[in-house]
Amino acid sequence: MTTMKNGLILAGVDGSELSDSVLDYAIWLSKKSSAPLKVLHTIEHSHQSDQVGHEGNLTPNIKEHLLDELSDEERLESKKLIADGKQILNDAKDKATAAGITDLIAKQRHGTLPEALLDLQSQLAMVVLGSKGHDHEGELQGLGAQIQDAIRVINKPVFIAKSAFTEPKKVMFAYNGSPTSHKALNLLTSMALFKQDLEVHVVCVQKNLADAQNLVEDAQSVLTGAGIDMIGEAMTGDAVEVLTHYQKTHGIDITVMGAFSHGKLHGFFFGSFTTQMLLESQTQFLLVR
Amino acid sequence: MLLSAKQDWLGNVRNDILAGIVVALALVPEAIAFSIIAGVDPKVGLYASFAIAVVIAIVGGRAGMISAATAATALLMVTLVKDHGLQYLLAATILAGVLQVVAGYLNLHKFMSFISKSVMTGFLNALAILIFMAQLPELTNVTWHVYALTAAGLGIIYLFPYVPKIGKLLPSPLVNIVVLTLVVYFFDIDVRTIGDMGELPDTLPIFLWPDVPFNFETLSIVFPYSVSIAIVGLLESLMTANVIDELTDTESDKKRECKGQGIANIGSGLIGGMAGCAMIGQSIINVKSGGRGRLSTMVAGILLLILVVFLSDILSIVPMAALVAVMIMVSIGTFNWTSIKELKTNPASASSVMVATVIVVVWTHNLAFGVFTGILIGSLFMAQRLSQFLLVESDYDEASDTRTYQVIGQVFFNSSDRFIGFFDFKEAVDKIVIDVHRAHFWDITGVAALDKVVIKLRREGADVNIIGLNEASETLLDKFAVHDKPDEVEKMMGGQ
Repeated sequence: MTTMKNGLILAGVDGSELSDSVLDYAIWLSKKSSAPLKVLHTIEHSHQSDQVGHEGNLTPNIKEHLLDELSDEERLESKKLIADGKQILNDAKDKATAAGITDLIAKQRHGTLPEALLDLQSQLAMVVLGSKGHDHEGELQGLGAQIQDAIRVINKPVFIAKSAFTEPKKVMFAYNGSPTSHKALNLLTSMALFKQDLEVHVVCVQKNLADAQNLVEDAQSVLTGAGIDMIGEAMTGDAVEVLTHYQKTHGIDITVMGAFSHGKLHGFFFGSFTTQMLLESQTQFLLVR
Repeated sequence: MLLSAKQDWLGNVRNDILAGIVVALALVPEAIAFSIIAGVDPKVGLYASFAIAVVIAIVGGRAGMISAATAATALLMVTLVKDHGLQYLLAATILAGVLQVVAGYLNLHKFMSFISKSVMTGFLNALAILIFMAQLPELTNVTWHVYALTAAGLGIIYLFPYVPKIGKLLPSPLVNIVVLTLVVYFFDIDVRTIGDMGELPDTLPIFLWPDVPFNFETLSIVFPYSVSIAIVGLLESLMTANVIDELTDTESDKKRECKGQGIANIGSGLIGGMAGCAMIGQSIINVKSGGRGRLSTMVAGILLLILVVFLSDILSIVPMAALVAVMIMVSIGTFNWTSIKELKTNPASASSVMVATVIVVVWTHNLAFGVFTGILIGSLFMAQRLSQFLLVESDYDEASDTRTYQVIGQVFFNSSDRFIGFFDFKEAVDKIVIDVHRAHFWDITGVAALDKVVIKLRREGADVNIIGLNEASETLLDKFAVHDKPDEVEKMMGGQ
């Protein structure tokens, strides 16, 4: 089980719209759980060349020449990306230091975000990411292409920032009794954060009300046992609809839930509940796999 | 990994499609030429190239690599086709595919680490020489027209890219084919054309089970060919995968590639195609044309089929000289020209491995034999070098009349004679201590050498005491591994 004591809070920054918010939430989480903060910027190589030729012929030592050309091109690209990333990280460091964080690491890694998370996963307690990066900037709903993969590759909780930072007050836990939501429940009990200043709502949506009520009671006994006060609500209906409505009417700041309990293929054919929730909600998310 | 599947297919659509087109156009002449090498109708190579490219695009482990009918595998089929005919070739192709899938499951790709740079260079140089030699029948006992056309074709291939604007847009090998075909057609020059070489495909391929008796005799005919094809196919495919990994600075799944090559060959055999593998030249052309994803390979395969099925009438009047020019280009591009210069500067051991690989391949027409020769010679050189890492220091303590030998380094089959040579058997002393805690006994020959020394010294009347034998013999175990124990590595390197 994940506890916040042994591991870093990792903030994935890319200089896009949500990058600031990601950092703010990471700072907030880091302070609340007194875990060290790591700010990560990934250098994504496109591995695509602009200087393509369609001559289609094989000249002597073509491999060596091509290797020189491609590596020269990528070297310039990398240097620029590294410099940009350093700037982003320096800004992040200043901000975190100003916010009073002392235990701070800022790093760059080559490769995609999911690759980086996979490599670093053993040192992490929680990952904070933005719901979208540069590619979807300006779009109201857009969900970053990498975020799904990022959530799927690691077995650590992922906090997803969807909008600018506001001090969170209310948390909604969507509990449906699935194995991943059990894990989410365990996470709630293990984090000191939820015992202090947050109002915890546990919402169970099932086909019939009795089942939902049973789930609320289950959650209540676990949470109360851990010293967390909660407000329980059992409801029926379409889960996405009911939950997003609840978020709005109760002014929820963070939604906690188990994520992607089905495989990728299932999601492809039936659509993923997690993806739908991420798209439809306005709150921040804490997802547990 | 599922993670990157989408990126592999759709990460580079525009460039992949354009590169796929360039590759398809270049694949047509090659597939025909390799059919001629194998001694089958051009359609066998063309169907094979279609099947292999399309299947490997889906199941291969290296995105952006081009696989199709190849010279390396075609050369292995010549006698099978001559003695037993096409149906046996198809059976051999399917069996080779099965063997490659098995090789994939057995993780045989890991043996690629035995192939040194010298062996790889030798492989490519030998392949280039064989491709060139395969063109010689088209260039002997022919009229001067053929030489003139071939020379003109090569001129177009290498000079057309320098033409402003269109030079970098149109593949020059294609321009060579179009121009030479027009010249031959309009001036009515009497030279051999592709149509003279056998049947071209005029329909889409159909699913066929090879028409061979399903018995042990068939298996015994086909099996040796299948083994060679499977080995050579995997060798060239994995080498090509390494080249593309290096060029694009990305990684490939070698195990998946092995299985994929097998599935592709099975698919090829079932639609009447010959065995193939990855193509170094075409894969480089693909990367140069901007191809990075699986889509490029898929486009190349599908377009190739469309081209040949609908253009078979036009293809049949293409002069062989145009094809020969393309193949000479492939040969020149495959050969590693700097390796000739490096013969003088590289260590003699490296050069001899490279040259031996080339000689054996050109002699046997089987790239696998060359590679095995190269690996063998290279390993002998390595054993020779390792045996230098052995030293025995000796000390004499007069008070106790004790001679102490301290053994440092590697004791194995090739250094055991040197090991014995360090001991002075004629010296008359009371006690002898052999300290082996800083030595490593790698095999039973090394242990036997130590035994021999002890027995000999005891015969001379000395009391022999060996210390540190436990540490020294740890290396004897086959599963000895130091990679996860930094201390052990330190010990090996420094002899501590």
